[in-house]
Amino acid sequence: MKRTGFVYDERYLLHKTGPYHPEVPERLTAIYEGIEQAGLLEKLIRVPAAPADLQWILNIHTAEYVKRFEAACRAGNQMFDSPDNEMCAQTYDVALLAVGGVLEACRGVMDGRLDNAFCAVRPPGHHAEASRAMGFCYFNNVAIAARFIQKQFGLGRVGIVDFDVHHGNGTQHIFEDDPTVYYYSIHQHPSFAYPGTGREFEYGQGDGYGFTKNSPVLPGQGDEDYRRLLNRDLFPAFAEFKPEVIIVSAGFDGHRDDDMSDTKVSTEFYTWMMLKIVEMAQTHSGGRIVSVLEGGYSLRRLPELARYHVESLLNG
Amino acid sequence: MFVSRSMTRRVITVGLEATLFEIQDLMAQNGIRHVPVVDEDNKLIGIVSDRDVRSALPFRYLQEGISPEEKAKLQGLRAKDMMTRKVFTISPGYTIQDALLMIQNAKVGALPVVDEEGRLKGILSVRDLLRAFINVLGIGQPGTLLCILVEEKVGQLKKIVDAITAMGVSFGSVLVARYWEEDKRAVFPYLLTQNVAHVKKKLQEMGYTLIDPMQWYLDQLPEDERPPDKPKR
Repeated sequence: MKRTGFVYDERYLLHKTGPYHPEVPERLTAIYEGIEQAGLLEKLIRVPAAPADLQWILNIHTAEYVKRFEAACRAGNQMFDSPDNEMCAQTYDVALLAVGGVLEACRGVMDGRLDNAFCAVRPPGHHAEASRAMGFCYFNNVAIAARFIQKQFGLGRVGIVDFDVHHGNGTQHIFEDDPTVYYYSIHQHPSFAYPGTGREFEYGQGDGYGFTKNSPVLPGQGDEDYRRLLNRDLFPAFAEFKPEVIIVSAGFDGHRDDDMSDTKVSTEFYTWMMLKIVEMAQTHSGGRIVSVLEGGYSLRRLPELARYHVESLLNG
Repeated sequence: MFVSRSMTRRVITVGLEATLFEIQDLMAQNGIRHVPVVDEDNKLIGIVSDRDVRSALPFRYLQEGISPEEKAKLQGLRAKDMMTRKVFTISPGYTIQDALLMIQNAKVGALPVVDEEGRLKGILSVRDLLRAFINVLGIGQPGTLLCILVEEKVGQLKKIVDAITAMGVSFGSVLVARYWEEDKRAVFPYLLTQNVAHVKKKLQEMGYTLIDPMQWYLDQLPEDERPPDKPKR
């Protein structure tokens, strides 16, 4: 059994969105309960969350954006930058805490105290751009983590696997011209889903050309197509890129029972996928993985999805 | 929506005496496929396309090279020998829609824009039109596209728009496909949100049918291109 870190903090529940908004605190309690009821809590190593040091956030987001976000939150605004980004008075602090938790997990993995980690955090991050909040995201947790690992631990190549059903436009754009961070995403086709980016022919720009890959999936497609695309696009790419650490943007909204997408992925498939990612990490990255929650909105399915995800990290 | 706003103003042109190779170089260096031919007053006399250039070159030119006599003959070819004199043109006051219909009917790749005296003011190519319509469709703006089947009745679109607006959701654009099924149209609202589950539910409660995204089509295919199992309209 691996030494798997687990980031979870009750304060993540304090970020509240309005009625009809699917990004609710109950998502996190469902995840926690799934892990607890499977008897996994005692097997995991709890990682504490503290507010992140702004210097790491400023590697990715502009100072103007961070100030604007804080000011809007303190002023009591209930929406920021995009109508989808509903927030409350605690949102800014919770966002800082989410980043903080992820960074602490990264420290654990890079220090060798942990083999891998799962960060059950809110709000999610992969739609957040350097100076714009979008798609329920404020700070791009995964992007900040990637840069943090590189700068703090002198690591070269970071591989990001984003299997949230929505393309991680923020993460892709942040690293678009960077050959040291490989961004891979599998998601519902941009012609049929938010955010409308992540086309198959987007490969990166400038020096980063060839270090971005997108696998769009059509509505109605499921396990078979996902498997085919991962075999064709992800595994060979990472075999060539040889990431020194893998960061996963773990979104579970492609599940057949999740209303936020039209794809039909099964719980079993998410398990298979995570085991394959763990395998890749063993082969190329000394087993180092940090997995960070993005989307996933089926309160009915989140418990089992979280359980199998964590089991893959523990036993994979 | 006017041609004058979308056209390229700095047009690369040649005079009647420009040689084949000069024109070929201009096209290659500037990444263009059409070179209008003008007189000293900048009045349009004709147009040379890259197809005209390639038709004038024997294919052997690229493969094995050609004899000095053939080369001399080619060097003698001028714009006046290769150009099309009957040019489809538009005026700066035309709308983008005018240009779109014209380009479709004329089956050309670019339309020189001329004033009443026939002087060249700009050029509008298929690429410029694509850019304009990519903007109109809002591709690239983050959002979600829905497809709603509506009856051909007055007021349907308003009901849908009102319902969506009441839920606080913004519109990027709305397209209507007119010939969907008999008596029915398909309305495609492009909503600037990721969160459409409650919008879809509300519309379904109101009695609208939401169409499976895999069944969408925005255009009526010509009769002979329709696959045999597609429903007739």
